[in-house]
Amino acid sequence: MFERALGSGERAGLVIYGRAGVGKTRLADECADQAAASGHPAQRVAGSRTTALLPLGGVAALLPDGLGGLGPDGQVNPVALFEQTRQALHERHRGRRLVIVADDVALLDAASLALLGYLAAQRSIFLIATVRTGEPVPDLLTDLWRDGRLERVDLHDLSRAHVDTLLHLALGGPIEGGAGREFWEATRGNPLYLHELTLGALDSGALVERSGVWHLEDFLPATSRLLDLVEQRIGGLPAEARSVVELLALCQPVELGYLETAAPAGVLESLERAGLVTIAVAEAQVRLAHPLHARVVRAAMPKLRARAVLLAQAERLEAAGSAPGPAELRIAVWRLDAGAQPDPAVLARGAHLARYAHDFRMVRRLMEAVPGEDLDAVGALLLGEALYELGAFDASERVLALGQELPSSEHTALLLAVTRAKNAQWGLCQPEKALAINAAARAVVTSPPLAEELVADEASVLTFSGQPDRALAVLGRTTSGDQRARAVRAIAGAVALASAGRTAEALALARDGHADHVALGDEPGIAHPAMHVVNQVFALTEAGRLAEAEQVGRAGAEIVASQRVPIAQIWFAINLGRVAILQGRLTTARRCYAEAAGLAQSSRFAGSRRVALSGLALAHAMLGEPDAAAQALAERAAVPPFGFLGPEQRLADAWAASAARRPAESAEAFRAAAAEAAATGHRVTESWLLHDLMRTSGEDVSARLSELASACDSQLVSARARHAAAARARGGAELSGAADDFESLGALLLAAEAAGGAADAFGRAGDRRAATAALRRSTALAAACEGANTPGLLHLATVNAAAADPLSGREREVVLLAATGMASKDIAERLYLSVRTVNNHLQHAYAKLGVTSRAGLTQALGSTL
Amino acid sequence: MTPEQITLVQSSFDRLGPDLPALTARFYQEVFQRDPALRPLFPSDLAELRVKFAQKLTEIVQSMPRLAELLVHTRALGARHVGYGVRTRDYQTIGDSLIAALAAVLGEEFDAQTHEAWVLAYTLVAETMLEGAAAARPIGS
Repeated sequence: MFERALGSGERAGLVIYGRAGVGKTRLADECADQAAASGHPAQRVAGSRTTALLPLGGVAALLPDGLGGLGPDGQVNPVALFEQTRQALHERHRGRRLVIVADDVALLDAASLALLGYLAAQRSIFLIATVRTGEPVPDLLTDLWRDGRLERVDLHDLSRAHVDTLLHLALGGPIEGGAGREFWEATRGNPLYLHELTLGALDSGALVERSGVWHLEDFLPATSRLLDLVEQRIGGLPAEARSVVELLALCQPVELGYLETAAPAGVLESLERAGLVTIAVAEAQVRLAHPLHARVVRAAMPKLRARAVLLAQAERLEAAGSAPGPAELRIAVWRLDAGAQPDPAVLARGAHLARYAHDFRMVRRLMEAVPGEDLDAVGALLLGEALYELGAFDASERVLALGQELPSSEHTALLLAVTRAKNAQWGLCQPEKALAINAAARAVVTSPPLAEELVADEASVLTFSGQPDRALAVLGRTTSGDQRARAVRAIAGAVALASAGRTAEALALARDGHADHVALGDEPGIAHPAMHVVNQVFALTEAGRLAEAEQVGRAGAEIVASQRVPIAQIWFAINLGRVAILQGRLTTARRCYAEAAGLAQSSRFAGSRRVALSGLALAHAMLGEPDAAAQALAERAAVPPFGFLGPEQRLADAWAASAARRPAESAEAFRAAAAEAAATGHRVTESWLLHDLMRTSGEDVSARLSELASACDSQLVSARARHAAAARARGGAELSGAADDFESLGALLLAAEAAGGAADAFGRAGDRRAATAALRRSTALAAACEGANTPGLLHLATVNAAAADPLSGREREVVLLAATGMASKDIAERLYLSVRTVNNHLQHAYAKLGVTSRAGLTQALGSTL
Repeated sequence: MTPEQITLVQSSFDRLGPDLPALTARFYQEVFQRDPALRPLFPSDLAELRVKFAQKLTEIVQSMPRLAELLVHTRALGARHVGYGVRTRDYQTIGDSLIAALAAVLGEEFDAQTHEAWVLAYTLVAETMLEGAAAARPIGS
């Protein structure tokens, strides 16, 4: 458009409208560069508050030497001066049209504007002007505009989608949801702020990449360049208006009624007109229009001034007689911001409110401000829980241990013990310590429901440290209990039952537990309700109901992602990774596990991260990527051991050794892990390990797998057992049956491997047609496995090569005609052959293609010819 | 896009499976309905184009998690589309048509989150196609 306007001669210029920072100058510069590239001279003039004071100050660079002086009558003759300037420019640029970029044209002095208007009208320049939204538009532009001689471009702030896309492209990869939202909320689509904030966040290390995904680890920093930018925007404000901006930056939202009396008349209006504040009429509240302004103004304010404003506002609100509630929280926060000591009781009440809103940062801030001697057991519980949620596990342990020393109700004592044990288990990765804390609490508890809960909690520690059998024994000691105890028991019990191969009970418990937990609401010291849904996915997977597991897992993952529950997000991703591994969708599995590992690192849960990294290594190994698998294992080695899914974690070591062609080490790793699984009651995992031992080494594991199949109500465990028995018998039909089983479960990689085994068995038995059919099936199944590269398929490849017996030229001709539906007699005529020869060729081709009829030919042709 | 949104785009696309031809047919229908002036840019028989479109869409969706790979596809695609006479403003029409076609074919599965993920995916593709287009367009054209 710019090129067309410049070339047409009709147009005198281009005007770019938009808000500050939207990219007007950038676009104008790009146009000037483009003009320069096509042979036009280009020059910049810029308005500013300084040049606006001098006539022609903004365009001094255009004026030829010696023309700035006075005429004989002591006056400047503008017309003569303008015309001389035009001629001088014409000569200087040899008749080519000069492109002038007038940035912030509204800030130019009137004389400069008149000169530019004259030159543009005479077509000796092409004017590119930028105008900030809200600034008055100079007459020069309105005149040209009225004559239809200006092109107008309106630049808008970026939409949410465009902010996201710009970040994706600038960072070179996807960005975690919360981080994307933070950038959007801070910039509201202002490209300049987005640019500065992104650079600042990269610089400060707040924005980091892990496993290909960008995470925000810290608050977005206010860089000095951002301070400058915002200062430019509000620097010219009169003192009264600036006070209002500062007040809002510290205390927003502020009641409209108060500001109307506190600020001189007109100030609020002018701020609103300039787009600096927004007024929510319905709520009668005023805020700064741009969230970033608040942050930057706060950072730039002198501390003493900020303190005075905050304390004055706190007193004002207090004098207005606020009831305990949100207003009290605001007062407490302002006092803290001002460096004053608020009333500890107010802080604690504020922390309860913040806890209710899941704002754990605020809970921590408020409770850490309570002097040590004023901290009671309830306060310690609040602070300890917040520290745990924020990943400060050592500090959480200290505070909760201290809280247990303080006098408290039995209920609070229980919550302290439960939270401290949870921190020891999940945060510190020390299950023994968690059990000790639990045992100490059980020794003194008197109320039966609380005792029930502590027993359920003991089972939870056992389950999530990889001891399902012990957990189930403990759960056997409890029967009743209230809703809360039932919910805690369901979390531990569902996973333990599923691991033990009692998948139907596990699923029922997970569903009941979810119902109990939802009815219970959000309470401290207990996992998020979504964890019951994670457990449903786990139970469905262990049962071999992979499609359902995937469906529930995806739905759950979407919900917790939108609600930002990191722990549930991590476990949904891990469970979706497990499902994908079993389905044979290996790149999907790799993606899920990588996502889980990244999320776990952000939220500092080392144990979950260890499980995720194990899965990641497993996926890499099964994709035939031994180096990447080794790298994931090396990363895992830096994370403390974590017992949950312990034997399953060892799949990664065994598969990595197999992928790196160390078969003896691999087999030994499978056997050791299977022994651990057997000793701890992980029956489903034991069958997985033994089956994979068979897949990688060919070792006969059929006897134990058959025992496990009868001990578990899992179709997957049964299918593994049948596969092992068929492999032992080397029966083609039995192996095909195993492939059917796996395929019906959606375990396509296992189905492909079983079908490959069947082809091998049929081949050895001399049944060439069945062998080819099995091979074709195996190949088709393997194609759905997203690049799987397992020994079971390697084996298939060698069979494939041996059996590869391409059709001869004649066979191919005959088959192609037959596939069109042509009768043998007609084919014979067409190819000058006897009908008998045609039929012979067809029979050979059928055998090679593994089909029995003409109908099967068309389908088979695609891949073989 | 978030990793979850990429997964959502890929999984909803996977679920199309055999309905992919229905999607492409619907897509062209939506495009011409929105802007009949675009019809002459396409050959009268769309059969071959539909297959190509489906292939390209599949490649792009699969490469979504790896930006470098995605850019290889989309930049070249953008550059090629300059030659076909596609203008910048047509990208909006095409994006709206794709989203409408997905909504029609996926039905209830095309919920608000899937919708948002696809809008972001299309924005990413369109922006990078436009980069490719800008690089291909000679100055002064």
